[in-house]
This record gives sequence, C-alpha cells and structure tokens, in this order.
Amino acid sequence: MLNITKNLDAGALNVALEGRLDTTTAPELEESLKESFEGVQDLTIDLEKLEYISSAGLRVLLFAQKTMNKQGTMKVVKASDTIMEIFEVTGFSDILTIE
Amino acid sequence: MYKVEGKKTDNGLECKLSGRVDSTNAPQVEEELNALIGGEEGQAVTVNMEDLEYISSAGLRVLLHLKKTCPDLKITDVNSEVYEILDMTGFTQIMTVEKGYRVVSVEGCEEIGRGANGTIYRIDQDNVVKVYNNADALKDIQHEREVARTALVLGVPTAISYDVVKVGDSYGSVFELLNARSFSKILADEPEKMDWCVNEFVKMLKIIHATLVPEGKLPDMYDTVYGWVTFMRDYLPQEASDKLIALIDAVPRDNHMIHGDYHIKNLELQGDEVLLIDMDTLAVGYPIFELGSMYNALIGFSEYDHENIKSFLGIDFETGKTFWHKTLAAYLGTVNEEKIREVEDKARIIGYTRMIRRSIRRKGLESERGKAEIELWTKELVELLKETDTLLFSRNELEIEAEVKNWDRVLAFINEHLEEANCPPKAEAQIALAAEEIFVNIANYAYRPEVGNATVRVEVMDNPVAVELTFMDQGKPYDPLKRDDPDITLPAEEREIGGLGIFLVKQTMDDVSYEYKDGRNILRLKKNLE
Repeated sequence: MLNITKNLDAGALNVALEGRLDTTTAPELEESLKESFEGVQDLTIDLEKLEYISSAGLRVLLFAQKTMNKQGTMKVVKASDTIMEIFEVTGFSDILTIE
Repeated sequence: MYKVEGKKTDNGLECKLSGRVDSTNAPQVEEELNALIGGEEGQAVTVNMEDLEYISSAGLRVLLHLKKTCPDLKITDVNSEVYEILDMTGFTQIMTVEKGYRVVSVEGCEEIGRGANGTIYRIDQDNVVKVYNNADALKDIQHEREVARTALVLGVPTAISYDVVKVGDSYGSVFELLNARSFSKILADEPEKMDWCVNEFVKMLKIIHATLVPEGKLPDMYDTVYGWVTFMRDYLPQEASDKLIALIDAVPRDNHMIHGDYHIKNLELQGDEVLLIDMDTLAVGYPIFELGSMYNALIGFSEYDHENIKSFLGIDFETGKTFWHKTLAAYLGTVNEEKIREVEDKARIIGYTRMIRRSIRRKGLESERGKAEIELWTKELVELLKETDTLLFSRNELEIEAEVKNWDRVLAFINEHLEEANCPPKAEAQIALAAEEIFVNIANYAYRPEVGNATVRVEVMDNPVAVELTFMDQGKPYDPLKRDDPDITLPAEEREIGGLGIFLVKQTMDDVSYEYKDGRNILRLKKNLE
C-alpha cells in the first residue's frame, strides 16, 4: 500500500509518500510523477510516513532525479533511519539532496 | 414461615427445607429434622433448599449440628441468595453444597453449533446456551469454563460462559453471543463467501497453533491419541497396528494449543469479529492431530454416507471437500498439490483412527451401517499406513506462482515467521528488502516467458538468533551473486539501476549463498538478529 499526496504551488511540487514503496507500488509513483513533471522547477519528496523502500523504489527516485537535473532541483526530506541507511549503503545519499 | 419435609429413600434421608429459617423458628426446625433422622446417626442426608428464601446464623447452626450427627450431608438446589450466605460463612467448604440452576428450555430454538460433547442453541438475540449430552455435566462445564479462560488470556478470541442452567435432565452453560452467525451458516447462505471464510478460518487456526500454553494448563493430545492407537491393536492387522504405533511414537510433544474439534460450526462471526466457541476439547499437541479431526468433520465423517455432512454442518459433501482443500492449501502455504496430498494423508491416518475407535465404542460393529463404515475406514487406513513414514510436516515453506503480483503474499508469509521470532523492525525491513529483490528476480527472469513456481522457506534459528530464507525455483540456472557490484560512486546521470538490488542484498544480509542442485536454483540468505 502506498498513498501519494501531491501539492503543486507555482512550480514547486511536493510529493508526500505514505506506506511502502516496493515492487508492487513503485510503478504507481512513476506514473504519478510522469503526469506532474511538466513545469515543475522544485520537486520535494516527503518520506516522513514512508515505512519501506526497495530497489524498485530507488529506481523511481533515480528516474525523478535524472528528470529534475534537466529542469530544476529535487530534494528528499524527512527520511527515517532505516531508509537513510539504505540510501547510504547504495550511494544514493551522494546522488540525492537529502534533508 | 417455614416447612420441613422428609422421606427415607435407598439413598438415605431426603429432606426439603422451605421458607425462612431464622432465630424465631430455628429450634423447631432442628427438632423436626431430628425427628426425621429418628436416631439413625450417620445416615446419608440430602437437604433440598430449592424453596428456601433465607437462612440466618441461627439456621446455619442447625445445619452445623446436622453435619455433626450425619457427616454425609449434602445441600442441593440452593438459590443464589442463600448460596451467597453459605459461601461467605465458609459453609460451602465444610459441607457439600450444590447450587440450584435457572431452568431454560431450548424447545424450538435454533441450533447453531454441535460439538463432541454438546449442542449449542440460541435462546434469544443476545444469548446462546450449550447443552451438554452428558447428564452429569457439571464437571465438564467447569472444565470448559477454565480452558476458555486460559485461551482468552493467551490471546485466542472466544466467548466465556457467565451462567450455568438446567435444561431438561441436563445442564447448559450460557454465553453472550450478539447476533453472531456461524461459518457454517454463512457458507450455506452465501456460497460466494467461500474464499473469505477459508481465509478467516485459516487465520484463526494459525492463531490457535501459534499459541504456546504454559505446562499443565491443558490436556496433552498426544496421550489421548496414544490411547486411540493402543485401542486399535485389537482391530487392525498386526503389521498395520505396529506401524501406527511407531508413527505416533515419533510425533514430538508440542506445547502449542490445538482446538480439538475445529470446524465451521465452531467459528462465529460477531459484527466483524471472529470468535472461537466450543472450547471443551482444547488441548496442546502437534498440529497433525488437529488436521485429523478437521478432515473428519469436513470429509471423513461423510465419506460413506455423503448426506451426513448436511445434518452436521449444513453444507453439501462437495462444498465440504472444497473447503477442506482450500483450507489445507492456505494453512500449509502451498499450491503444490503433491504436498497438500501428502499432509492430507497424514491427517487421514489420525482421522480414521479416531472415527473407527469412536464407532466401535458406540457399538458400530453391531449394525450393518456401522460395520460398512468401519470396514471402509479400516481399508483406507491400512493402505495409508503402508505408504506413510512420518506424521510430521512443515509449515515454514510457501510455494507460490513466481509472479510479481504475488510479492505481497510472500511478504506476509515471511513476516508471520519473523513476528514469531520477535525480529527487530530494522532487520525486518532489511529482510523484506532482500527477499523482494530475490523473489522479483525469479518472477521476472527464471521461467520467462513461461510461468513457474517459487518456494520460499523461512527458518528461525536460536543459537545465535538468526533467520535464514531459502528461495528455490526450477527455472534457468542463474547465479545472481555473480553480477558485478554497481559503481555506487557515480553521479545520477551515469548511474544504472541494474544490479543494485543484489548489491543491497549482499550489503544487508550476513550470509548469502547460491547453488544449483537437482534442477533447482537455491539461494540462501542469512541475517543474524543478535
């Protein structure tokens, strides 16, 4: 189960994730982001309520980062310790802007 | 106002004490009682107090004197007010005092359940009564109340009786069960809910079997079954009987709970809560014993006459068979028909043994029908005994179609076992992560473009505490560990996601190994929990 809450305010898109970002739910997030990228300069991904991320989820974050590198900036906020650890192990902590 | 009546019977003196006994009339009451005893000290005396409204301390003294003259004194049918006085003053400890019971009629009431020892009727919208078959049931009622309490305290949702009543010549215990419906009724009325029923039925079964019972709290089913197989010595060919005893010998003692009479009339839906009822057969033991009695209820008992199940569970034979098969598959966590069949055969050995013995003890050999049933069951049992070498089976393996959409079920299966091991949340997340990578890999590549099965085994080890997951598939030989680790220092633009999953598995697990053996890819992951 993944809940995606999007909030667009003058080119700044906030995407809050709640639940599990895994093989089953990652395609939903990818679709959802693809629909909203246009005109976005600042993308914030809020992971406060995200419990779990697998490599399928990392793949979507990488895709989002690559897209935003062309049109603006992206940051990831409020990741839990468990998720932070996965970012570190995979080197994602160097690729993503994490706050 | 008081009255003393009495008559001599073969069982001694039977008196009846009515009205009020207090300081104003206690001396007369004592005098009249003494007249009835007529100097025959030491004879057995029963005092019926059905119509006694009140007794004061002067009256209690009369009882005390009586107890001295006739130590074999029994007080019966005491109403609850008088019982309270006798209990508070300690009289219930000095003499035998039996409570009087409210009388309840079940005539015209709906039968909602039936177990080995009694039948359950709904007496009004909120209450049901379980009427015991045995006329001398007070001990059984006490036992059932105690075991139900044990179960509730250990976390098994059940109803506990709040009153004992008299029903005809027998006794009943009363439970509150608000607007509840048994699973048997749900299945009969709404056949489309089969899968939902199976799911809830299995969920409860797993709760029961995961419940560890403190030693001595419940009877051990092993001893009961041992009694059955000893009994069967006289009714089976030597070779079959020896095999049966050897099989039971090899079953381990197990302190996990089993219900003992688990079927669809003993599971009730109350609101959105599922409750287990009919707890008198509660025991501890190895779960094959449970599966044996479940097989009987759903199939075995109706194998000779398919109509049996209709009057017993309200569903037809085919529905019973389907329900059993789906239940067993879900309980074992497998879609492998061979494995289901194997465990079913073990359950049938227990089931037939139980039914044959039960029928013989109920003079089954004296009727044509009984003989025919016993003959059929014995023939099946002897065949099964030839082919079976153990009654043990495992529940820690899940065999499932390797498809990405099944990942949620694999995860639920793994988590169930991790919970039993008290796995810390962080390790749980890492194990989920690793398992997902492996399972999704199998789903995406192993059989492509065909579809095949994957088997997941979870083992919890305790010295040191660790979890080992084994993934097996019969797809193309492929060792995912051979993949080069990705360069995790590259910037986003140059990063490829491929290989990251396996890299994560290696990073988060303590031991990862691969082998290809007997046509199967076998990948093992081990995580230390200490």
